[in-house]
Amino acid sequence: MYDHFETPEPDEAVKLALRRIEESTARGEGSDVAGLEFNEVVVNMGPQHPSTHGVLRLVVTLDGELVKDVIPVIGYLHRCKEKIAERRTYFQYIPILDRTEYVAGINCEWAYVLAVEKLAGIRPTRRAEFIRVITAELMRIASHLVAVGTFTADLSPLGTAMVFYMFRDREDVLDLMEELTGARMMFNYFRFGGVRYDLPDGWVEKCRDFVRTFPAKIREYEALVDDNAIFLQRTQGKGVITQQDVVDYGITGPNARASGIPLDLRRTRPYSVYPELDFDVCVEHHGDVFDRYRVRIREMRESLKIIEQCLDMLPRGPVQVGSLRAPYVITPPPGSCYVGQENPRGEFGTYIESDGSRYPYRLKYRDPCFCNLQLFPKLLSGNKIADAVAISGSIDLVLGGIDR
Amino acid sequence: MIDILLGILRAVLFVVIAYVVVFVAALVNIYFERRAMAFIGDRLGPNRTGPQGVLQSVADAFKMMGKEDFRPLAADPVLFTLAPVTVMIGAVAIQLVLPYTDGLLATDLNVGIIFLVAISSFTTLAILMGGWASRNKYSLVGALRAAAQMISYEIPMLLALLIVAMIVGSLRLDHVVAFQAHYEWIGFYAPFTFLMFYIASIAELNRGPFDLPESETELVAGYSTEYSGMRFGMFFLNEYAGLTIMSMVAVTLFFGGWMGPWNGAVSLWGVDLVGVFWFVLKSYVLVFLLVWVRFSIPRLQADQLMGFAWKILIPLGLANTLATAAIILWVPSWKWGLLVFGWVSFFAFVGLFDPLLKRRLRRERERQPVVSA
Amino acid sequence: MPVTVGSNPRGMDALAALLAERFAGELTDVRVQEPDTVVVRCAPEKLKDAAARLKADPEVGYETLNWIAGVDQRTGIEAVYHVYSWKTNTWLQIHVDLSREQPEVDTVSDVWPAADWHEREAWDMVGIRFLGHPDLRRILLRDDFVGHPLRKDYVDLAENHPHV
Repeated sequence: MYDHFETPEPDEAVKLALRRIEESTARGEGSDVAGLEFNEVVVNMGPQHPSTHGVLRLVVTLDGELVKDVIPVIGYLHRCKEKIAERRTYFQYIPILDRTEYVAGINCEWAYVLAVEKLAGIRPTRRAEFIRVITAELMRIASHLVAVGTFTADLSPLGTAMVFYMFRDREDVLDLMEELTGARMMFNYFRFGGVRYDLPDGWVEKCRDFVRTFPAKIREYEALVDDNAIFLQRTQGKGVITQQDVVDYGITGPNARASGIPLDLRRTRPYSVYPELDFDVCVEHHGDVFDRYRVRIREMRESLKIIEQCLDMLPRGPVQVGSLRAPYVITPPPGSCYVGQENPRGEFGTYIESDGSRYPYRLKYRDPCFCNLQLFPKLLSGNKIADAVAISGSIDLVLGGIDR
Repeated sequence: MIDILLGILRAVLFVVIAYVVVFVAALVNIYFERRAMAFIGDRLGPNRTGPQGVLQSVADAFKMMGKEDFRPLAADPVLFTLAPVTVMIGAVAIQLVLPYTDGLLATDLNVGIIFLVAISSFTTLAILMGGWASRNKYSLVGALRAAAQMISYEIPMLLALLIVAMIVGSLRLDHVVAFQAHYEWIGFYAPFTFLMFYIASIAELNRGPFDLPESETELVAGYSTEYSGMRFGMFFLNEYAGLTIMSMVAVTLFFGGWMGPWNGAVSLWGVDLVGVFWFVLKSYVLVFLLVWVRFSIPRLQADQLMGFAWKILIPLGLANTLATAAIILWVPSWKWGLLVFGWVSFFAFVGLFDPLLKRRLRRERERQPVVSA
Repeated sequence: MPVTVGSNPRGMDALAALLAERFAGELTDVRVQEPDTVVVRCAPEKLKDAAARLKADPEVGYETLNWIAGVDQRTGIEAVYHVYSWKTNTWLQIHVDLSREQPEVDTVSDVWPAADWHEREAWDMVGIRFLGHPDLRRILLRDDFVGHPLRKDYVDLAENHPHV
């Protein structure tokens, strides 16, 4: 029947999946129903699959509905960011950071700016520090809204309603950011030793309004899904990340905290003015899909708490060290440093080597999603396809960061 | 001679009506669902094409017809082409036993209810054909899920229909409607049976929360992944027409069909037009329910879906059937007996199911190992 | 035993001294980078033993590999391993110098499972060959890419891009 059709040569990942099937069959592990030679099929999920949230490709070995093996294939969004750093001055490179984890760009900018400031020995002004914390926490809320919204959309059409509520409310955050920085996602706002603009008139009041109204919306989300039996059935006890996994694979962020580890760089490796602020590190103890969802919802409340405190404590003064404008050219002394920063998805950091010139000699990203994705084969194997989709949604990947 | 000619004309007329109903219902439902979904999601929905966007689905239909007629090289040519054609049969043929209104019924088949069950499975057959013929793994998984789901939910549906037949004492659908005159709707006598029928019909329609065969986040588009243009359009139209058709069946069986106030006030050639109005109105109340359910309940998983059918619906359905039979047989004023039994079982199911499930979930949660221990 | 984030009451200098003393055979050039990182050098042939011992050390226990970076230092290739100790909440940065002609080092992916992908990335970008790695394929670039782009002498030739 299919003689006229020539199967194209499979690529390396598919070959690997086929080889693994052959090996497991040779070991006699393959289930042998009805005398079929192979019961397992290799399915390509992605790069254009509705639930991979970007261009992630998973080569999945399926035994019926059961996921036997997963081989993630990444790099479809590779934009040579580390190579670009060789030909851009430190200052010119800031906008590139917005494009790594584009859902929370400002947090990535912060990681880079922190590293360069540490290399060059610059200390930002105090007002700038508070503005940085406010913007970063606002974007953490926006990022968690995207994460939870798309995750519920993975579960059901109910989520398509939920995801619109969340994007509607994320709009409030983006409006605030737009008024402050002039951009909705690609901010280019942080500068070495400060930030680009001071807060515009009336911004603080608008931000306070947001802080006041948002908790009601969080309660609305919780009312929608937290008490839904089907939602609970589909999330509780699924995709458990053990503490050993966290230690072995360097899982960070909400995914680690859902497994009961209070790892939050804002507390464990404090930077900026976080030591002065009062907030809790949200920890859950089952490490499953539901707990990861809960951690994100709870962290939104903590972020609101932080923003409120920062607005109260906001000092007067310049937002940029030295002159009014940020230094266009800086030449940090030779040396290297790595600074990690708590992104909404975990530890995002940049390792910078300087040779004393205007350009970074080597810039390397430590991306949380890249490390979290590495756990996928272990996490998804043995689950049903539907569970696998829910689990991968709960890990919250952003391909812009993974592929760089 | 003239009788035969009239008979042929009549047959053609009813087939045309059935197809018109399918297409119009599909177009209306697509628009209706998109607006309702937008309303639920706090959005506007399509509102640009025509007044309030009512022409949106017409525009979509033309867009689909204008697309390239594309068939994958590896697909089975015969089955692949046949599937979108076959898929309509169920939706069209069901209407041939449905009384739209007084005097508008294609055939008063004396095994109407059995015909209904037999013919409604055609859709799944077409889905299986299409999924198999596409030679795509997603399509195949989607099609097999559809088949498994249909087999499971056909049984509760059959049990519900059996109860209706027992109450009415006939398999003819016009008798079913006639029984429900004076507002003695079967839905009032047997609300639990209606609930069972309703759940099973959602599953038969492959809609959320039972939309596993085409769960877009898992299987891209399920059985219709490889279809495009008007071939996909046929699947799509059938799916949305199915909303109305299933609701029409439910209204006929449980809510008095075309019966309502002022029946026969306006009639044309012996066809009661007020009845059509009531029939459509009742159907669309149920269509809205279907849409509402879809966007308020998360999708079940394949094993949960099967578990719900085999462990809960079918045992309860069997018990319900036995009890109803006993009441009809032995209770002297059996209508009152049914009324009491029906509402008690309905509230027991609705009131107990969710708390019991949650209690089980809570207990499972307590037993679940804590990773930080 | 639940994992918690510990602290380092003895201070960074004491920790560096402790590492220098306990791993005298493997780690050289121990220095502290404020606030919480110890930077060391290690010879490539000793890396694997050092890694296993660093991970198993009961007092510091560098159990998590954070990232690996390959750096082209013009005179040679350098691999940088960044590992984390939960017990002391400190970082350790291991710099390993490799020759430019034959940048080879034993894999640590059997010690720290996280090293798997990071090593693949270092191979992809600067061409460090990790001996004994289970699956050393390219990760970010496509399978038939030619060269290692983060080498300072990398030249992008048009004939290496047949798909463009």
